[in-house]
Amino acid sequence: MDFRFSPEEEKFREEIRDFLDTSVTDELVEEVERGTEIGIGPQTWELMQRMGERGWLAPAFPKEYGGLGATRWQQFLLSDEMTYRRAYPLHLCGVGIVGPTLLQYGTDEQKQEYLTRIARGEIEFALGYTEPEAGSDLANLQVRAERKGDFYIINGQKVFNTGCHFSQYVWLAARTDPNVSKHKGISLMIADMKTPGITVRPLWVMDNDRTNEVFYDDVKVPVKNLIGEENRGFYYILTALAHERSFPTGDLRRTFEEFVEYVKEEGLGDDPLVRQSVAQLATELQALQLLAYRVTWLVENHTSPNWEAPMVKVYLTEFMWRFSNAATEIMGPYGQLRKGSKWVPLVGRIERLYRHAARRNISAGSSEIQRNTIATVGLKLPR
Amino acid sequence: MELSLNEEQEIMKRNAQNFLKKECPTSLVRELAEDDEGFSPDLWRKMADLGWMGLILPFDYGGSEGDFLHLAVLLEEMGRACAPSWYFSTVVLGAQIILEIGTEEQKNRLLPPIASGESIGTLALLEPQSKYNLAKTDTASNKNGDDFFIDGVKLFVPDVHIADWMVCVTRGQGKNGGDPGLNLFFVETKSPGISTTLLKTISDDKLFEVKLDEVKVPAENRLGNEEQEAAQVQKILQRAALAKCAEMVGGAQMVLDMSVDYAKQRVQFKRPIGSFQAIQHHCANMLIDLDCSRYITYYAAWLLSEGIPCEKEMAMAKAFTSEAYIDVARLGQQVHGGTGLMEEHDMQMYFRNAKASALALGNATFQREIVAREMGL
Ligand SMILES: Cc1cc2nc3c(=O)[nH]c(=O)nc-3n(C[C@H](O)[C@H](O)[C@H](O)COP(=O)(O)OP(=O)(O)OC[C@H]3O[C@@H](n4cnc5c(N)ncnc54)[C@H](O)[C@@H]3O)c2cc1C
Repeated sequence: MDFRFSPEEEKFREEIRDFLDTSVTDELVEEVERGTEIGIGPQTWELMQRMGERGWLAPAFPKEYGGLGATRWQQFLLSDEMTYRRAYPLHLCGVGIVGPTLLQYGTDEQKQEYLTRIARGEIEFALGYTEPEAGSDLANLQVRAERKGDFYIINGQKVFNTGCHFSQYVWLAARTDPNVSKHKGISLMIADMKTPGITVRPLWVMDNDRTNEVFYDDVKVPVKNLIGEENRGFYYILTALAHERSFPTGDLRRTFEEFVEYVKEEGLGDDPLVRQSVAQLATELQALQLLAYRVTWLVENHTSPNWEAPMVKVYLTEFMWRFSNAATEIMGPYGQLRKGSKWVPLVGRIERLYRHAARRNISAGSSEIQRNTIATVGLKLPR
Repeated sequence: MELSLNEEQEIMKRNAQNFLKKECPTSLVRELAEDDEGFSPDLWRKMADLGWMGLILPFDYGGSEGDFLHLAVLLEEMGRACAPSWYFSTVVLGAQIILEIGTEEQKNRLLPPIASGESIGTLALLEPQSKYNLAKTDTASNKNGDDFFIDGVKLFVPDVHIADWMVCVTRGQGKNGGDPGLNLFFVETKSPGISTTLLKTISDDKLFEVKLDEVKVPAENRLGNEEQEAAQVQKILQRAALAKCAEMVGGAQMVLDMSVDYAKQRVQFKRPIGSFQAIQHHCANMLIDLDCSRYITYYAAWLLSEGIPCEKEMAMAKAFTSEAYIDVARLGQQVHGGTGLMEEHDMQMYFRNAKASALALGNATFQREIVAREMGL
């Protein structure tokens, strides 16, 4: 075993740090922290494009598509440093989800058309899976895609499709064959958000993020935008989901460090209860970090982390909850203050994390569903 | 033993529930939360007309002399409705202190207008340095002639913007050269020298910073005739903490009801999600938390109504119920999936309310310390 990064990786990390030292401004962080209320704002686009110029936005893409052909570890370090500086939106779906899936299943034309623009920081994708009757049971989705000549005609309703108000494209799952078993009639395609017939209505989340209801009314999507084979979409989505669930943890670590500073400055470090609580949280954060390393290590070694990534997802989001719950208790009455309030500790980040954590235990697959996967796939328990 | 409510309490519970459903639906609660003013004089008037303001005040002051159990029953329903905090501020925080330590003359002057719903009050307790510890009160009250002058900063003062008066806790100067105790005053909120700033909170409760700059208060407004022991004042506040528990029980009950309904009705994988063991266990855990909270709260409320000392039991109730409500709300959120997280859904209001209630009037850590002390540790 060797838990060190290689000298080349360390060098890469130094380069990223130097770049971020001069590039990350308070305004950028402010913008990123508004979350999906605005999604990717002007400062963020600009930073993404500057990173794209160096091949740093999607370093794991091959060079021909604007990446560096970098290792998973380099990709990891990059997201880790970026999130630690709070310079990175929660999801960059193009880079993290759509890109890797296109690399695996996309046509050459699709790769040409989208990958390079993703890597240059020019476009972003929203995820269009969930529907009112298809949440955890994604295969139950009903939005219909009927083939007419060179187009699919899309009709129906999606819900909780978060990026639709700021992305250029949506990564859309729709039913192409209603007459076969439900997993086998779904297709995945890319739709341009400017296509006539798409209506986006905001839904506000309790953590101040925004998501959407999206209505499709005779929306025409060219057949060339189909990913892989028709009716095999559900299996591609499973690949895409595995990519989605490897979340970076830099921002969480940063917030924890700031909380530890707060505890010291407020003179709470002498209280044995506070000491126990903070030490326990630090220990859990360490465990989380190691679980995340494991996932990266598996992927780097060409093993797909089918149940190991869900472990990170559950542990991460439940840690967010335990941390923000304990920290708001330690802050006492101050723990309830929101950003922008007089007397608010740590700019309200921990109070918001408390509301955000509840949501993260649901979005991108609920904790219950992750545990089902860990039990049945990881431990091979009967279904 | 008899573990159910008596008939009179049952009637009160049902009436309160029906009234609040009609007059204080969550649509109104949401509207009030979004508005910085957040007050409905109409709702206040109607609650007063039902005699709620004087519920636990003696007949002599226009009340109906209900005991603490009556109050608990009513507050449980308010918690269930996620009702705004004005009632709690006036009746539980303000009036109770006046009743406990006011002189006969003060009670005669101050309590009847509360009972009739003519005045709205609150309590200015915490300070930047004090967290929950009253002994650390820093706000000064200096006597000059027949008046006191109050100077300092109070934090987390609920509803001061609509209150006519507040009970203000200040540091005394020490009786006969002894350790300083606390001077409690009845202060009119319109007095010169008072300025307030609305704080932004997780639950949208209207909590304020209140700055007092040489605020002149006549000596006759000092509650009681002398300085109070901090421990004594804390004891009174523990009743308010117990009252908070009743609210939390109601909130938790509502969360469980909503969650069980939803689990029966929401279908995924061709089955109601309530048929999945993961969801069943969440609901079962919520029920365990809820029933423990209910009994631990009502036990203390009963002891109090019977006049049996119950410092330890009140602290146990607040420690337990604070954490239980948070857990119930978290699990309720989980059962509701994405839907419950949307601002337009009621579930998340209770989730945010749980944190605020748990932090109010001594959080679990603070209360467990009292339990340990009462146990002789
Ligand atoms: C803020 C937010 C942003 C989102 N962004 C996107 C997005 O951009 N694109 C997108 O497509 N989707 C998005 N989602 C949707 C998200 O993936 C779903 O909310 C999630 O998968 C849960 O589905 P549901 O909300 O329908 O809950 P349900 O599936 O109805 O689940 C309700 C409860 O039942 C449990 N449950 C369901 N099935 C089982 C089972 N078999 N065993 C045990 N328990 C079970 C769940 O764990 C949960 O506790 C977002 C959601 C949120 C809240």
